[in-house]
Amino acid sequence: MTMKSMTPAHIRKRNSWALYGAAVALAAILVLFSLPIYHFATDLYVKKSPNTFVGDEKYVKTRADVEAIAETYQNQKELGNVTVLEDVTQRVNSKGETTSLITFRVSATVDKNAWDFIASGLPNGRLLLFCVLALGASVLLLLLSLPGTFALIPQKLSRRNMAMRNAACALMLIALVLVPVFHFYTVSVFQRQMIDALTREPTPRLTSLLAATDALLYGGQAGDTAGALVAGLTYQTTAAFWLLLPSMFGLLVAFILLSRESLSHTLTRGLLYLFVIALCVVILYPYYVMLITAFRNNAETTDMYFTNIFPTKWIWSNITDIVNRGVPRFLLNSLLLSGGATLIALGCGIPAAYAMARMNFRGKKVFLGFVIMSQMFAPIVLLVGISQLMNVLNLNDSIIGLMLINAAFNQAFAIWLLRGTFISISPEMEQAARIDGCSTGKALIHVLLPMAAPGIVTTLIFVFINAWNEYTISTVLISTPFKKPITVGITQFSSFNMIEWQYLFASALLATIPVVILFMFIEKHLVAGLTSGGVKG
Amino acid sequence: MHSMLERRKWEPYLWLLPSILLMTIFVIFPIFIVFKLSFSEISKAGVVGDFIGLGNFKAAVTDKAFGTVMTNTLLWVVSVVGISTFLGFIVAMVMNSPFRGRKIARSIIVFPWATSLVIQASIWNYIINFEYGNLNNVLLNLGVIKDAVNWRASYQIEFMWECGVGIFVTIPFVAFCVLAGLQSIDNTYYEAATVDGAGYWKKLTKVTLPLVRPALTVSTVLNIIYVFNSFPIIYTITKGAPANKTDTLVTYLYMLAFYDQQKGPATALSVIGFVLLCIVAGLYMMISMRKEEL
Repeated sequence: MTMKSMTPAHIRKRNSWALYGAAVALAAILVLFSLPIYHFATDLYVKKSPNTFVGDEKYVKTRADVEAIAETYQNQKELGNVTVLEDVTQRVNSKGETTSLITFRVSATVDKNAWDFIASGLPNGRLLLFCVLALGASVLLLLLSLPGTFALIPQKLSRRNMAMRNAACALMLIALVLVPVFHFYTVSVFQRQMIDALTREPTPRLTSLLAATDALLYGGQAGDTAGALVAGLTYQTTAAFWLLLPSMFGLLVAFILLSRESLSHTLTRGLLYLFVIALCVVILYPYYVMLITAFRNNAETTDMYFTNIFPTKWIWSNITDIVNRGVPRFLLNSLLLSGGATLIALGCGIPAAYAMARMNFRGKKVFLGFVIMSQMFAPIVLLVGISQLMNVLNLNDSIIGLMLINAAFNQAFAIWLLRGTFISISPEMEQAARIDGCSTGKALIHVLLPMAAPGIVTTLIFVFINAWNEYTISTVLISTPFKKPITVGITQFSSFNMIEWQYLFASALLATIPVVILFMFIEKHLVAGLTSGGVKG
Repeated sequence: MHSMLERRKWEPYLWLLPSILLMTIFVIFPIFIVFKLSFSEISKAGVVGDFIGLGNFKAAVTDKAFGTVMTNTLLWVVSVVGISTFLGFIVAMVMNSPFRGRKIARSIIVFPWATSLVIQASIWNYIINFEYGNLNNVLLNLGVIKDAVNWRASYQIEFMWECGVGIFVTIPFVAFCVLAGLQSIDNTYYEAATVDGAGYWKKLTKVTLPLVRPALTVSTVLNIIYVFNSFPIIYTITKGAPANKTDTLVTYLYMLAFYDQQKGPATALSVIGFVLLCIVAGLYMMISMRKEEL
């Protein structure tokens, strides 16, 4: 149903259905909150029987012992269901008889619903509390905005009522997001922080966390053994919990219907933002890893059970350490290499692009083919030839050699981008200048280049970044350590038996930041350059 | 008036001269050297000997790693170019629609393009480490997995990771090429299509796709060349191990030339690679050009 065909009658009908839906979803959410959402099981006591047979004397005696212990647990502590479980392992002894090793476990199981979590004082309980508050507030706002306006077209709502409905939607969205956050946080609290509580020096935060968990699961009676009990915990999220998400989503949809004209438009927008956010998270993830690893100490970089999002302590000395290990020199080499390559590439590329854009001559197509073909060959395929050539020219192990090669292999792209820029500028100004007696060269320098500045800067930065990031030729041609550019230099921190990740990434960070910033500058122009240069031809 | 502006006949060539010189010396010469070496005998010390015909080619092709390497190269190029073109197209479509924060999103998306492949590959190498990698760390912290997962359990999986990193760093280039194409589409086409009652899919297949095809052709041809020649990702993550099982042509020929000192077969492989690349890129260009004419 498109917007135009929606009459007030349609909207009235749709809105009444939305309201019924909201009521049902709200009731469902309240019920689901009261059903158990997590199922916990802990071993309170474990005893292994001696070698025996199921049903014989030793077995009966051990079983009785264990049951007595189970009973004391059942009586003394509010532990939910206490049961005795047994695992039988069969063995063949030296005489060839089959005996069994029986492991008795006194196991307590307990189911907790959302209200238990809210009452527990655990940090994740607070999350659920926020969820309930947001839910309640959004329902309240919606109710306040309803009287007298229910049947009207949303766009004709008073400003105040519209704002209330929008706020209700926003709060509902927050409540919806809090449910999965609660789940992950609960898992994290039980799985990791409790192991920490056992293995690490107890901090006040962990101690209070442990007490709250003890209160939730064992009625506060586990005391000193709470940490051990929680560490051995197994838990399952019940179906009721997973039904919460669709119910809350249903409520949100009902709210959106009540305040907006078109649901599908809203949902498409939501998906769009979701996609963009997910994309950005995935793209930034390796950079986040690089950043935190660059500032951690060596032990933390190789610790899988590290729980903080950022380094426990930012180790700035990593930077001074790499400064002492030659990184500034590598950066300087890279700067020289890329700067030189850029100058040469543009020095040769600007006249060529100018001729391609402004002059007609025989062999123009041949030259274009030549340029495209040179793109076909990456230096890596020609490495053997290049290193031979460099031997002949006596440019092996020299930064100047690297400059020339980088310039040559970037010619194609430079000419392509520059030609596009020149074509997009009208030749009238130059013609006028030449009629006034300027030579072609002067017209180019004084008239065309200033006008083409954005395109030239884009090309310049592009070639610079390509040369800066180049790795393969440098690794073959440069053998003297102090002549290495940064991309080759960082590999000194990784050897076969040990990689110093913090130094590797600290230098990588220094090598990455400047080029990423430069690239962000030209990003906008790059699209324009690609359009005018090649794509449109 | 016209005669005043007329240029001397040789002038354009003078303007092209520096560029031609630079490319001839540093691109064309090495090509000649590689072709010449591929037909010559080269000793381990690098001394160039006599013309031996197709001896080097025979040695390269009959090596037992050759089959694996060529299969890997094919898988590598097809999967990286194919998937990154598909995903890059979607990213470009999203980035072309107006939304809040689009400028920031676009700046973030260029990050992988602006970063050196060695650095990018080193980071992923750390992320997927079994003993302390950040991926396991994050997933354990989130409670998604209960035990550390070995993300590098077999060489097939390692190769898939390499392809994944390849796709990751290639998407921005495709996205920006397509974006350039999308932004050059005149809005009147869409208005006309709307008047004709075309829905979203109709507009996508009948208006958008035909009009961005030139941009897609350019990005695909360039990508085939770049990805085929891409070296640092595989070299950093597996170095082709175990036993050339994850090598592509370029990493294989690099190891052959500079570790095993077999420069003869290595140059033969260079020539094979170049010929293959010319054929594939040429065919692709011809096919897509023809479609355009129709």
